[in-house]
Amino acid sequence: MDLFEIRGGGGGGLDVISEEAEHQESRELKAMDPYNVASDRGRGAARDVSTFQRFSVDTNESLRFEPCEDSPPSPTGAEDGYDDDDDVFKEGETEREIVTTRSRLQGKVAEMENFAGHLEEIFLTVEENFGRQEQHLEQHYNDVLQTLSQRYDERAAGLEEEKKGKLEALYGQLLVCGRALDASKELIETAQEVYRSQDKRLFLKAVKPTIKRMEEFAKEEVDLTLSTRLEFDTPLADMSDVKTMMDSINVVPAPSAPVINPQMPNSASQTSLRVCWSLFSDDTVESYELYYRPVLEDTPADSTCAPYVNRVKVRKPLHSFPVNRVKVRKPLLSFPVNRVKVKETHCTVTDLLPNAQYELWVTATNTTGISPASERALYMTVPSPPVIKRRECTSCPEAAMIRWESGNTNPVDSYTVELSETSTDGTAGGVTESIVAVPTCQCLIQLQTGRRYLIAVRAVNIGGPSDKSDVITVSTTGTFFHLLEDTAHPCLSISEDGFTMFYGDEELPISAMALDDTFTRCVAVLGDLIPVRGRHYWEVEVDDGTEFRIGVSYEDTERNSFLGANKTSWCMRHILSPSRHKYEFLHNGWSPDLRITVNPVRIGVALDYERGTLSFFNVALEQHLHTFHCHFQNYVHPCFSLDNPGALTVHNSIEAPEYTFI
Amino acid sequence: MALTQVSSNKCAGGFQKVFEHDSTELKCKMKFAVYLPPQAETDKCPVLYWLSGLTCTEQNVITKAGSQLAAAEHGIIVVAPDTSPRGCNIEGEDESWDFGTGAGFYVDATQDPWKTNYRMYSYVTEELPKLINANFPSDPDRMSISGHSMGGHGALVCALKNPGKYKAVSAFSPICNPMQCPWGQKAFAGYLGSDRSTWEAYDATVLAGAYSGPQLDILIDQGRDDQFLSASQLLPDNLIAVCSEKKIPVVFRLQPGYDHSYFFIYSFMNDHIKHHAKYLNA
Repeated sequence: MDLFEIRGGGGGGLDVISEEAEHQESRELKAMDPYNVASDRGRGAARDVSTFQRFSVDTNESLRFEPCEDSPPSPTGAEDGYDDDDDVFKEGETEREIVTTRSRLQGKVAEMENFAGHLEEIFLTVEENFGRQEQHLEQHYNDVLQTLSQRYDERAAGLEEEKKGKLEALYGQLLVCGRALDASKELIETAQEVYRSQDKRLFLKAVKPTIKRMEEFAKEEVDLTLSTRLEFDTPLADMSDVKTMMDSINVVPAPSAPVINPQMPNSASQTSLRVCWSLFSDDTVESYELYYRPVLEDTPADSTCAPYVNRVKVRKPLHSFPVNRVKVRKPLLSFPVNRVKVKETHCTVTDLLPNAQYELWVTATNTTGISPASERALYMTVPSPPVIKRRECTSCPEAAMIRWESGNTNPVDSYTVELSETSTDGTAGGVTESIVAVPTCQCLIQLQTGRRYLIAVRAVNIGGPSDKSDVITVSTTGTFFHLLEDTAHPCLSISEDGFTMFYGDEELPISAMALDDTFTRCVAVLGDLIPVRGRHYWEVEVDDGTEFRIGVSYEDTERNSFLGANKTSWCMRHILSPSRHKYEFLHNGWSPDLRITVNPVRIGVALDYERGTLSFFNVALEQHLHTFHCHFQNYVHPCFSLDNPGALTVHNSIEAPEYTFI
Repeated sequence: MALTQVSSNKCAGGFQKVFEHDSTELKCKMKFAVYLPPQAETDKCPVLYWLSGLTCTEQNVITKAGSQLAAAEHGIIVVAPDTSPRGCNIEGEDESWDFGTGAGFYVDATQDPWKTNYRMYSYVTEELPKLINANFPSDPDRMSISGHSMGGHGALVCALKNPGKYKAVSAFSPICNPMQCPWGQKAFAGYLGSDRSTWEAYDATVLAGAYSGPQLDILIDQGRDDQFLSASQLLPDNLIAVCSEKKIPVVFRLQPGYDHSYFFIYSFMNDHIKHHAKYLNA
């Protein structure tokens, strides 16, 4: 009895055994552990028989295990086989042989046991199938009988009608004859009466009309033919539909349309979808066919399609970034429909585009034919991971502002920001916090001071979350910002690392076009916005002879004006005159009159939004130089400019020294 | 050294007191004002020594300068001595307002009849600190010095002559270069004699030129509309020039509209106390 034969379907009838049995079978066969071998090691087992006997009690094929002839099994029935006092195992070699033989036999027993189990299941399935077929048959024949009896009724009624009709016609004729008879009888009597009449005068009067009437009457033809035939019509009975019904009894009906499930959460990946469906009837199905095609309004994302369609710089508040919702409307392209043939009621479709919607439907097939298509379901693949814009992230002791690109051409539903704290040696803890439902491509996250965090972003749509973006490390020591290179005056060049600026001697290149956001007169550049209330600190390194302006300004500070010359900026200015160094602290064009004897080359800038102060320090001396008292209406940007050729370096992420915020 | 309390008023959460004692340096009874901040009840506090200007006593600063609130905020004891010995009956001591009584110039006089009593330099730098440390909850290692006009000169001189002794120094419209201005010349001639080389020891500008010691950080406020500035009594430019050359850190602020009065001092006292607090509380 080879198991594989049975599975392959040696008998034709077993071909149509439904899925579950097949599946169960294959699953069981795969997991063929030699169970129950561990127990009773080396013990001949009369007990074994009882456990193996769950297959059919009534069959003659019950598995019987003859106990070994050599020696009776130990009465205590120790399970572990470690009974040292057993005589059987006194000899060395034969001992081992016996053991191996026994274990082989045990293995065989296990196989048979398995087989028995499978047979049992098949048995049950056959019963099930039989039951189903029986039901089916009964129903079919019932239908046929019903149809036949209906026909009979119809025909009988028809005949009845016909009979009635004929009888009525004949009866009518009868009546007519009767009347005719009556009429002639009356006529005869009248004539006789006239004939017998004594009154000659009356006789003469009446005789002529009466004769006339008799002549007329005699002329009348009497129709003596039968109005109807005596035979009945017997048209041929049309039994063709009954015949079809009888024929179809032998045929398995085509399946009804499957029901495709809606998308399960977290079942999709960036390039694949797991689709499930079910069959809510007792149909037999041989296989399913899954169809799918993308539902797109735009062109698919490829390397030639940039996420931002235009590169014109427009002046907008820098701290509210546009939402990445680019939709390029193009005519609906017709995509070919893909199909996959599967035997299971689920399928994982691969090679798909990320963040894309797909339309899927499924049909079921058996020997009779193909079912109608299921309803169409819309599934969505998970988006591609976002890309964090490293040069646009800022941080400060209590928070970080993270900005990213969507990573998808089509909009996603939201973003999830994940952060975990890391110790100084870089080992990360698990994810400590997730911020969900972030609607735009930026997030201001509250953090704790003096820690390091690893932050990543996922894009989320109804298919689920994307993979994590690349991680960015954020340190909440001091305040950290990049320079907004788009605001830099054309003469200002920024180093690779983005923190040193140079004002070269070279002439302004002709190609350097001033874009909307750049400074046009003051050779200046803005730092990224500091969008968190509280205290911030950074340092600026200059040369002794550098003429500079450093401070803060509002985002909308006039680009054609000088830092400090207007109400929207505050700065410390160094002027080098032939005789001495001059320092100004400018706001709205006004500065206090100050002398500073030691020229600072490293200047600490301390911004306190709460107190409304902006202070400058000579870092090397820890010397306070000046403090602006200003009520900031908005968040500000650090600003820097060079008034003569030179260089300036910004130093970030420095914890504010104590003396800066007394 | 017995102290007698002359007055005590609760002020800004602490106490403004005035004491009198017999000074060994000055050989007379001297008064001085002490402001004790609330923190002095429980902790040792640093001390800021305030030297007043010409014609002042210990009273002017404590009633007009508005220092108590800032001192309380930063937990600093403020000590303000008188500007000269009093009641010594020296001939000519009351003749001028800018020499003698009320015009000690914070020097140790070498000339008669002044040399016995007029030892304000030693009083301020030696006797007074010892007295304060012995009688008040002061931290002997944390003291700083400031002053106005003549007292500004005194503060600068004390700091420059005692490197490391004072953790911070500041001044309001100080006499920066007494050797070059009428006030200084008159006073030094009287107290120190005609040998100008002896004057150099008490001239901030000269001392700055020769200073070597721990780094200083000098804050100077000067009213732009100060009549004495325009009268060339104060000469801050000279000091700035020397400090620039010698790389002595100075922040000198010219305050427009302000004069030489206590109204000016009041306006910027907070900044100065903050400046001192930075170093005293470090």
